[in-house]
Amino acid sequence: MTNPLQLMCTQQIIEQFAPEQHNLLNILHALQDNHPQNYLTEQALDDTARYLGLPKSSVYGVATYYTMFSLVPRGRYIVRVCTSVVCELHKAGRVIGSLENMLGITTGETTPDGMFTLELSECLGQCQDAPSVMVNEKVYNNLDDNRLAEIIHQIRGSQKTANR
Amino acid sequence: MTKQISLTIDNKKITAPEGANLLQVASENNIAIPHLCYHKKLSPTGACRLCIVKIENQRGLIASCTVQVSDGMKVTAFDGELEEARKYLLDWLLSEHDESHDNSYDDAFRELVHRYGLDKKENRLFPSIYKELGYPTDESSPVLSYDAAKCIKCFRCIKGCDEVQGKNVLSFTNRGIISYIIGGFDNWGESECDGCGECIQLCPTGAIVEKPHRSAINLLNGIQKVRTTCPYCGVGCQLELFVQDGKIVRSNGVEGVSPNDGRLCVKGRFGYDYVHSPERLTKPLIKKGGKFVESSWDEALDLVARKFSEIKEKYGRKALAGYASAKTTNEDNYLFMKLVRKVFGNNNVDYCTRLCHASTVTAMLRSLGDGAGSNSIEDYAGSDCILVTGNNMIETHPVTATFVKYAVQRKGAKVIIIDPKWTPLVKDAHIWLQPKLGTDVALLNGMLRVIISEDLIDREFITKRVDGGLQAFERLKALTGKYTPEYVKAITGVPAHLMTEAARVYARAGSPLIATGMGYSQQVTGTHNVFCLINMMLITGQVGRRGAGLNPPRGQNNVQGVSDVGASPFTYPGYIPVEDEENLRHIARIWDVPFESLDSKKGLSTIEIMQAAYEGSVKGMYIMGENPMLTDPNLNHTEEAIKRLDFLVVQDIFHTDTTPFADVILPATAFAESEGTYVNSDRRVLRVRKAVDPPGQARQDWEIITEIARRMGSPLGNYRNESDIWDEIARTAPIFAGISYDRLKDQGIQWPCPDKDHPGTDTLFLEQFNTPNGLGKLHPVDYAEQNEQADETYPFILNTGRILYQYHSSTMSRRNKALTDFANQAYVLMNPGDAERHGFTQGQKLRIASRRGLIEPIAVKISNEVLPGELFMPFHYPEAPVNRLTRDEMDPYSKIAPFKLSAVNASPYKG
Repeated sequence: MTNPLQLMCTQQIIEQFAPEQHNLLNILHALQDNHPQNYLTEQALDDTARYLGLPKSSVYGVATYYTMFSLVPRGRYIVRVCTSVVCELHKAGRVIGSLENMLGITTGETTPDGMFTLELSECLGQCQDAPSVMVNEKVYNNLDDNRLAEIIHQIRGSQKTANR
Repeated sequence: MTKQISLTIDNKKITAPEGANLLQVASENNIAIPHLCYHKKLSPTGACRLCIVKIENQRGLIASCTVQVSDGMKVTAFDGELEEARKYLLDWLLSEHDESHDNSYDDAFRELVHRYGLDKKENRLFPSIYKELGYPTDESSPVLSYDAAKCIKCFRCIKGCDEVQGKNVLSFTNRGIISYIIGGFDNWGESECDGCGECIQLCPTGAIVEKPHRSAINLLNGIQKVRTTCPYCGVGCQLELFVQDGKIVRSNGVEGVSPNDGRLCVKGRFGYDYVHSPERLTKPLIKKGGKFVESSWDEALDLVARKFSEIKEKYGRKALAGYASAKTTNEDNYLFMKLVRKVFGNNNVDYCTRLCHASTVTAMLRSLGDGAGSNSIEDYAGSDCILVTGNNMIETHPVTATFVKYAVQRKGAKVIIIDPKWTPLVKDAHIWLQPKLGTDVALLNGMLRVIISEDLIDREFITKRVDGGLQAFERLKALTGKYTPEYVKAITGVPAHLMTEAARVYARAGSPLIATGMGYSQQVTGTHNVFCLINMMLITGQVGRRGAGLNPPRGQNNVQGVSDVGASPFTYPGYIPVEDEENLRHIARIWDVPFESLDSKKGLSTIEIMQAAYEGSVKGMYIMGENPMLTDPNLNHTEEAIKRLDFLVVQDIFHTDTTPFADVILPATAFAESEGTYVNSDRRVLRVRKAVDPPGQARQDWEIITEIARRMGSPLGNYRNESDIWDEIARTAPIFAGISYDRLKDQGIQWPCPDKDHPGTDTLFLEQFNTPNGLGKLHPVDYAEQNEQADETYPFILNTGRILYQYHSSTMSRRNKALTDFANQAYVLMNPGDAERHGFTQGQKLRIASRRGLIEPIAVKISNEVLPGELFMPFHYPEAPVNRLTRDEMDPYSKIAPFKLSAVNASPYKG
């Protein structure tokens, strides 16, 4: 599905929100989601600061405080591995290793085709079904290598279909 | 008055105001509770936790900086448990901290580490991990460096920038152990930071340090600290200069004293390089065969004395004139004025106030009887409405602006701005009225009409304190009747609802202050503009009590003082008219001259002196510390006038745009080489102290003046030092009668101070105005169209002004790397619509011409900071001398020139 925001320029996205400081997080999310490389550009931060009448450092401070925001280009799919204690006990470390092998990147990196970025996450709240991974907005539980391979394969497949 | 309560700290009985900060109370009673994040200027943070105490009947260890004292409180500040906890906290902070130190800054953290024995590694519990954390440094700012590895995240910099300076530029990035302070997007140099350095002064660990001269500083090696007054604008900030090996290496704001309480702007903190510039004048220069040749002082002074005497002999005493200087001390200017009056024998002495606030002073003198600000700078912080007219105070009086921003951001005050051009204070404004240039009288009469028609006047005040009472008011009412919102909008372009709202907010405010600047004064209608402001203030009764009144922030360090000590063609010291015979007799006695020898006719003002030189009636001129070849209006005319002089002496610290025209150049001293006093914008007499020796053979201005007088056969007096001169000033000016150097040691004193026991006057006009009958006077004035209008040939109206990083003719400010790194290029501002219509692109080089002259090339800066049809240029830059374009038409009352309004055209520069 095409994101309805994708065709909009930064200013149009920002102006969907009232120029009030409490809208900062919503604006940053909208800007990041709209960007094909899933990140906040300096221009986006600058426009936001100006629109909300905030100092640049405040906007930057918020954008770097929350790990869900990125200031560097990322893949279309952000794979976040839960590193909570429960997931750790259920071999989250192995999940990370497997994903690094499958994707050919280390944690924090993006695949050369711009498809995946591998990240770590605080608790995803799925402890009953650990270990867990979140890909963009979707959560996957009870993972092992086969299940992970299947998920990655599925996403690549769906992307190819979408491209066609 | 706050109730006094009793408490005990470690069994010591202490009395303190109820609600005071516990840590502060302890500190004031010599109980040194360790702390790092607390500073008395800032709201308490409680971040470092070192100031923990125990309080009876309260649980746990409590950060004392967050506690307000109450009656009967029993506090334990030191015991084994508290000390152990403090040591643990320090140890933990230390593990993330780079301990290297270069002795260039005070380090409160390091001192505590030593106090708790943690400088010995064997006493520590935690290993050092700061290197593994990969903390960055930020070197991008022109004036400061930030090292996150030395930062303890105490919030002082963030709060200083926000709460004290009202700028709020800084923040944290990341979180947890790897968080650190940032400006901008982790790039201080590209942030909104204007370089004031408040954060440097407040940083307790040296994480934020200044760049200029820091490598030269060694606090362990004979640093001398000298308290003095800033040489830039008229706020009068108190500085502590650090001197090492005969050179100034640092400038800090002095905490706890008025007017600045430690605050400085970028010029005050980093603008001292010029003192040690290799371009300083160090020897007298005499023009021989068209070239300047170094000479001895004797040769130069003899020549000056002989030439002035010859001119006086040949053309009469009126053929000599002098420009005094708003940059030098009261003592220098008093003797300069005395030289002109006693030795030249006329009143042809004036200075740049005539180009600055002369109209404001004239209007205030006529209406209120005093030509100076009625209130104190710190009063802005407590005001609920600040009306800012033609005054870009964030750039021109940055420290005054911090008090205004405090009132708005912390106390909910409303700022009303009247300015055709955007200024940074607009961000904090409740209302911004943007009248077309030169239409202020119409706008203010419109506001007066709103106030009158909505019955927002103060009848009692008008009856008791206004000359002519309600009858006089009726005349004002009749005159303003026609200024309906529609009529005013047609003239000014200001929407009716905004004008109405502004009038209501001002009239209804509890303690409104008017801060009026060059935008109002530098017009042909300058005096009328201020009459209107005063009319509004008087009929609403918004004067005559603490925190309400009218205040013109003075542009230069001593522009107030020079008028105060009588360097004016119209008045003697203390604003006594030259025609006042009783005063002349008094002065004649003090100066030991025959009363008849003193000229009792008004002298020529600044522009009149130049016009007289042009016409040939003034033949010889003495200019001290002024640069008319950049700052006088209609420079082409000024240049011709100066060329026609028989003899010109310029006394300065640098070659300027004026010195090439001099016959003799005399090298004088900079602020840091002088003793004396300045008077700031709120009438505060402030000490100036010598920190370093003058370069080469440069001499004190007052010593040069006395030498010239002596060699002209009319000595000025036997002054041992500056204090002797001041004492004579105090005898001639009743406003200063009670002030002497010994009283100025720690704090300035605000005039009038009539006797030795008088504390000075923080607010003028409390009981009565200083007019002969004690009443304020209304001056109803009508709007009149400007003589110069935009037309087909000259379609733009040009406005001129100042910027934060340069000062006056930039002879001082441009010789500071820090300031020029921020801004060093002339430009002309143009509205985007105009630029588009003319096909100009951002940065394009233009040619700007008026009926009087032209400037080229000059880069255009396209911005909606100016209205369509209007342009703006800073006047600081000699390569773009904007006064080639301006007019020397004068305000008939004050003789000020209309720097703010010249018709010009703009065309592409053809190279």
